[in-house]
Amino acid sequence: MAEAPAAPALIGVEIDGRTVEVAPGSLVWDACEKAGVFVPVYCAHKKLEPVAVCRMCLVEVEGMPKLQPACATRVSAGMVVRTATDQVRKFRDGNLEFLLLNHPLDCPVCDRGGECDLQDFTQRYGPGRSRASITEKVHFEKAIPLSDKIYLDQERCILCWRCVRYYEEITGEREIVLQERGVHTVVDTFERRPLQSKFQGNLPEICPVGALTHAKYRFRARPWDLRRTSSVCSHCSYGCNIFVDAREDQIARYASNDNPEVDDSWLCDRGRYAFSEHNRGDRVVNPEARVGGVRQAVAYKDAIERACGGLLRIRGEFGPSAIGVVGSSRLTNEEAFALQWMAREVIGTPNLDHRLSRLERITPDDFEVGIAEIEECDAVVVLGPTPEAAAPVLTLRLFKAENKRGRQILRVPVGVAAARLLQDLPPEATVAIVAHESDASAARELRRKLSAPKRLVQILTIVDEVNSRGCQDLGLLPNWLPGYRPALNPGLETLAMLKAAVDGTVRALVLVDPSPDLEGRALFADALASVELAIVVAARPGVSTRGATVVLPGRTLVEKAGTVTNTEGRVQRVRSAVEPKFAFPPDLRVIADLAAGLGGDLGVQPLAGPVFTKIAEAVPAYRGTQGGLRAKWSLLP
Amino acid sequence: MTESGLVLTRHHGAPDQTTLAGYERVGGYGALRRAVQIGPDEVAVQVKASGLRGRGGAAFPTATKWSFLPKETFPRYLCVNADESEPGCFKDRVLMEEYPHQFLEGVLIAAFALRVTHSFIYIRGEYRSQRELLERAVEEVYRAGYAGRDVLGSGWGCELIVHGGAGAYICGEETALLESLEGRRGQPRLKPPFPAVKGLYGQPTVVNNVETLSNLPFIVEQGGAAYAATGTEASPGTRLFCVSGHVEHPGTFEVPMGRTTFRDLVELAGGVWKGRKFKAMQPGGGSMQILGPEHLDTPLDFKAVADAGSSLGAGALVVMDESTCVVNVAMRLVDFYRHESCGKCVPCREGTYFESELMHRLEAGVATRSELADLSDVCANMDGRCFCPLGDTATWFVMSAYRRFPEEFEMHCGAGVCPVRYRQEVMV
Repeated sequence: MAEAPAAPALIGVEIDGRTVEVAPGSLVWDACEKAGVFVPVYCAHKKLEPVAVCRMCLVEVEGMPKLQPACATRVSAGMVVRTATDQVRKFRDGNLEFLLLNHPLDCPVCDRGGECDLQDFTQRYGPGRSRASITEKVHFEKAIPLSDKIYLDQERCILCWRCVRYYEEITGEREIVLQERGVHTVVDTFERRPLQSKFQGNLPEICPVGALTHAKYRFRARPWDLRRTSSVCSHCSYGCNIFVDAREDQIARYASNDNPEVDDSWLCDRGRYAFSEHNRGDRVVNPEARVGGVRQAVAYKDAIERACGGLLRIRGEFGPSAIGVVGSSRLTNEEAFALQWMAREVIGTPNLDHRLSRLERITPDDFEVGIAEIEECDAVVVLGPTPEAAAPVLTLRLFKAENKRGRQILRVPVGVAAARLLQDLPPEATVAIVAHESDASAARELRRKLSAPKRLVQILTIVDEVNSRGCQDLGLLPNWLPGYRPALNPGLETLAMLKAAVDGTVRALVLVDPSPDLEGRALFADALASVELAIVVAARPGVSTRGATVVLPGRTLVEKAGTVTNTEGRVQRVRSAVEPKFAFPPDLRVIADLAAGLGGDLGVQPLAGPVFTKIAEAVPAYRGTQGGLRAKWSLLP
Repeated sequence: MTESGLVLTRHHGAPDQTTLAGYERVGGYGALRRAVQIGPDEVAVQVKASGLRGRGGAAFPTATKWSFLPKETFPRYLCVNADESEPGCFKDRVLMEEYPHQFLEGVLIAAFALRVTHSFIYIRGEYRSQRELLERAVEEVYRAGYAGRDVLGSGWGCELIVHGGAGAYICGEETALLESLEGRRGQPRLKPPFPAVKGLYGQPTVVNNVETLSNLPFIVEQGGAAYAATGTEASPGTRLFCVSGHVEHPGTFEVPMGRTTFRDLVELAGGVWKGRKFKAMQPGGGSMQILGPEHLDTPLDFKAVADAGSSLGAGALVVMDESTCVVNVAMRLVDFYRHESCGKCVPCREGTYFESELMHRLEAGVATRSELADLSDVCANMDGRCFCPLGDTATWFVMSAYRRFPEEFEMHCGAGVCPVRYRQEVMV
């Protein structure tokens, strides 16, 4: 890593009579924020370069004849700024009047109503009355589908350029441009070509008004209808922070929740728009059991008793190895930890897994460099297209490193010859290798070849699913115990377990939230048909619930509370954003109840907090990660 | 100083000034040779001694502008602003049409003094024939070895690139010009950084006007002092003025600064036409404030005109006779700014629209008195609040005309027609 520069001395700036200390080179806008003085602005955005076009933030700066834009003026020592003088107020009124001249009065049908900066600032500062005698406004096109995801309303646009700059500065794709000029200026795509970016969903979020809206959120809700929960996107292992906005039991949208260390406030469309999956109605809502060959709804307690009775019988007759336990990488850390504990300590079987493919040899060394730390590396080597396909927002981080930080980004095939890279890499450099987990050995090999006395090479491995990393760290694996301690007596991995089930050596399966990939396999159906006992905890009906002996209703990740670990090892909280349509216990409790029925005592309440305490005891790297920090693997015992 | 006292048009009447041969016959490119002999620093010294100030409108001292370039940053660029678009302004056109080689020699002298290896001439899109003429002249210059590699054995070389605009007034603003030249939408850039530090392609850049550079051959040939002597101490040199409007012989005239008055200019153009009386004038082009008959004897001196409440701007003078409705003139000018606003900032984009809608209502005699007050207020919300001077100056003529002819503006309120036109066309 580059050494952190010594913090420069702060300078004092006076804002409306209050003196604040800010770093040299800060913007007046930042100083105002620090002084607790609100300055309205449309065009400026924390993640974009200033352009000073909306003029909303003009303030008085002593010694300057004209009002200055707070968003683009740099502070100087002893600068005196006034934001609430008559001159400033009068101009704000006038500027809002300008903005409203040709703005349609369609707030009642605008998706942005209630969370619109134009509405808010007009309420707060604008003139109370229109004096425009102009009878006809300048009209523009409305409700233009720019893609299947985004609608553009040119009439509502106040031309802050955020969308144009987003495409220039954040994605580099330049899909939206300014066209025409003067009062006829509009934003649009060139020749109305459809947007193709994988990151379109960020546009309505940075739009300060209702000009760019989500197709999936059109006319769906008002902000005051929504209940907002901060959580983590569950559609890849990157761990973007989100707000889940729910209206009653439906999720209305995901919104970004800026975490500069991870997502930098940008989401990919795959993650953002996947929320509608959670609104699907096909759910397991009742415990069920096969009673005398017929599947029927049973009481929760009854289902647990039947499951435990069956497991005890099979363990008694055939030994613990006749039982297999399979979770999935969508489990929370607490569930994963409890499940491996139940398998190993309570049932006593070594056959447990959460993956479909064998995890050969992966250690914390494969996750040394963090997502944000990529920007600090002199060069980033990306092996093949899979890392960015698996975690799309990574692309934006790479672009930022290249575009804003001037880092060298080398996108190369997986089997690239180290010699070819060495031509481009200076002898003294910090280098990050970003690779998909399936290419972990290639990444390690490349690190070995590129490393030099003054060239530090570190790897960031991108794993596949939301909590793949946590399930590995916490040992929901046949060959690794929690914290990557090798299992002395490795058991069967998932596919081997299924084959053994067909062969008859495994006679019972416990499946918690089985993955859709698993469900799609013929071997899985065969295994379910072969075993004597299949206990399934699942949110949605499928092959597993149809073939199960005992079914317990499970929750989806947006209904759970707990933690998940992203691909760089950051432990982040997920919170329950919506309640399921049933009142049965959450999955963690179900695991604890099954364990209790088998005579196991977790020792703590089956809640996320207490179970996390147990995790921290078992895996020292997880200590002190609360608040979204990365696990500290240097604490390995 | 020449016998005629002229600088830019001193070769007037000499044949074939549009060709290299014709220009060389009157000593053309001798100044470039001399510049190469005396070296870049001495050229800069002479330019400083000349007191030459920019002729594009802002009248910034040229030598000072040049001195802002960071000393050792290369490459650096020279851009010539030939995007002459100010209403009433056509002097650069004359210089390019009549004396293209004098202009190109000036460009090369500046490029040499600034140690520039690429000079760009950004010419107004509508100047098609002028552009073709200029391109032919550039070809001749290359063939003669005044441009290209190793000019006159000096070891220094310079490429000349002529680039046509696409017809936007805003591209006369230097940073919008650079944006357009780089192939982007013509819109002004946020300053700082200023072009001298970070201009074309992010490199130090000087942007000079056609007329400014056309003075350089004379300055190098005869010395900065000789140039300064043609004007007064405060306003050195001569200047081209475009006189148009209600005069008998509109045209471009070169006059010494400071020693000439507006009345002299009007008389050079044959006086107010049709025997009518003088009512008002706008110096400096469409952006500048209106002046009245009492200013006719004001000398063409930067300070004197500023004291009168206006500016010499880009060297234009539009004369209005007694039949003129100033509300109508103001409306037409505001329409121009509304049309030319680039749309970048709110007060200009929406303000010029609001202003023009109000002016149309006023001109048609349907505006109320409170709308006239609104007009002043709208202008106050634009002036000094816009991103670049375009929006600011879109208010200057209107407001100065209202201050000077308040009764004429007020007479329009609720009159149902333009009272000035009504009086002329119906009552007479």
